Amino acid sequence: MMQSYWFGDLKDGSCRPFTGNAAAIADRLSAIRIGSENYVPLDWRSAVDCGICRDRSEYLQKLRNACILFAERRIEEEFKKNDVVLLQMVRTLDEMDTVINLLTGRVFDWYQVTGPGFSRKYRRIPPQTFIKTISSGSGGSLSQIAADIGRISRTRTSLAREVSDIAGEIMPNCSALIGGLVAARLMYHAGGLSHLARLPGSAIQVLGARTALFSHLREKTPSPKHGIIFQHRRIHNAPVERRGKVARVLAAKLAIAARLDYYRGIPVPEFLEAAQKRIDAAGTAP
Amino acid sequence: MIWINGVLVSHGKGGVYGERILTGERVWDPYRSKLSALYYKGSGIELSKEMRVLYLGAAHGTTVSHVSDYVEVIYAVESAPHPMLDLLEVARRRENIVPIMADAARPEIYAPVLESVDLIYQDVAQPDQVTIALRNSIFLKPGGTLILMLKTRSVDVRQDPEKVLSDAKSALAAAGMVITGYIWLEPYHRDHAAVICVNEITGQHP
Repeated sequence: MMQSYWFGDLKDGSCRPFTGNAAAIADRLSAIRIGSENYVPLDWRSAVDCGICRDRSEYLQKLRNACILFAERRIEEEFKKNDVVLLQMVRTLDEMDTVINLLTGRVFDWYQVTGPGFSRKYRRIPPQTFIKTISSGSGGSLSQIAADIGRISRTRTSLAREVSDIAGEIMPNCSALIGGLVAARLMYHAGGLSHLARLPGSAIQVLGARTALFSHLREKTPSPKHGIIFQHRRIHNAPVERRGKVARVLAAKLAIAARLDYYRGIPVPEFLEAAQKRIDAAGTAP
Repeated sequence: MIWINGVLVSHGKGGVYGERILTGERVWDPYRSKLSALYYKGSGIELSKEMRVLYLGAAHGTTVSHVSDYVEVIYAVESAPHPMLDLLEVARRRENIVPIMADAARPEIYAPVLESVDLIYQDVAQPDQVTIALRNSIFLKPGGTLILMLKTRSVDVRQDPEKVLSDAKSALAAAGMVITGYIWLEPYHRDHAAVICVNEITGQHP
């Protein structure tokens, strides 16, 4: 029975040492496996008998160097996957939204104190315009913050465009069904494209509706009909009584689209056409 | 273990993660580290300079760095790339940490680099924590100790934590582990229980 360890192969008490530097050992580590049924824990002294090292500290030092190198390479591989950057971008984008909303609310309150009697009721001023008025008008820190909010909003817009573009490249089928931005958010909530590709449609349907889902499981409240996919116009524009159905069909098609994206990586027109038709049909009365 | 006026510390080079230093020793905070909490609860096992440790779910290497102050060698298994970056940084500066980038649920992958250990410490956020512990028990010396930090909320959020704990205990016992103690880590960590077992299977390994 041969056992392969990092420093060599052991068989019936004899040893075939593996001679090579840390890089070669790191390569070896990704290749060798040991079945746990017949596993014999390795004894470091057999590495000495093998002639790999002289003593315990040299044994550990060699092993440690190889393991560190192995880990560094694995990390590099992981970070090379193109969905990793997209994941960070979506996260940043959503965080920026939160920050912009928080600051805008704060600035409104502040502005109201400096000019009492001001109310936003019956005025219908879009927040961006209002932020502009404050930044040019009031002077001091308040207008500076308002100007900063304006800047962050512009950066947010260009980041959103970039996210959408990259999503269109790495998830062409999902993006075609639901738009790049929402597709990227779905991927983020699933934890990566490979994870999204392994989810069933029913899970994709409620991705991002965690609170509602758990309150449903726990307290028997009504189940959520949709999570992030609600952000797509197909769902929020659908009549209320059909939304659940549209969400279900769309999510089922997205599950297929995600697999196509992950395993093929190219748009599949015949699938997309059939899927679009099916989703549109779900939105109209039977 | 080293205590200074009721504060758990470890002896080693400081500044790993901005930990406090008390008369030259590194303070081991029970609110940050579950293993430290276990010592504060009075149920930890004594670590010593001869010990070999397998640490599953090493994360950013915070607890790992303290354990490494006490023992001979620590094999630190972690699968996620981001925490691994931090763990590697710690491992480069501490000669007795062997970082292993692998999934703790698949010991066959890292078996070729591992030796028998005196202590297995497991802190992973997975639903099948007990299965993972048992799979790794092939590395445990006869008479060695397994400390399982049971994250009951990771096993099943809907289940009562007490029930999760009792299920885990019976599964461990059924597999031949002798449970010598268990304790909830309140007030340091919520819904976390430590289960301490001893490997009584003797004569299996030469």
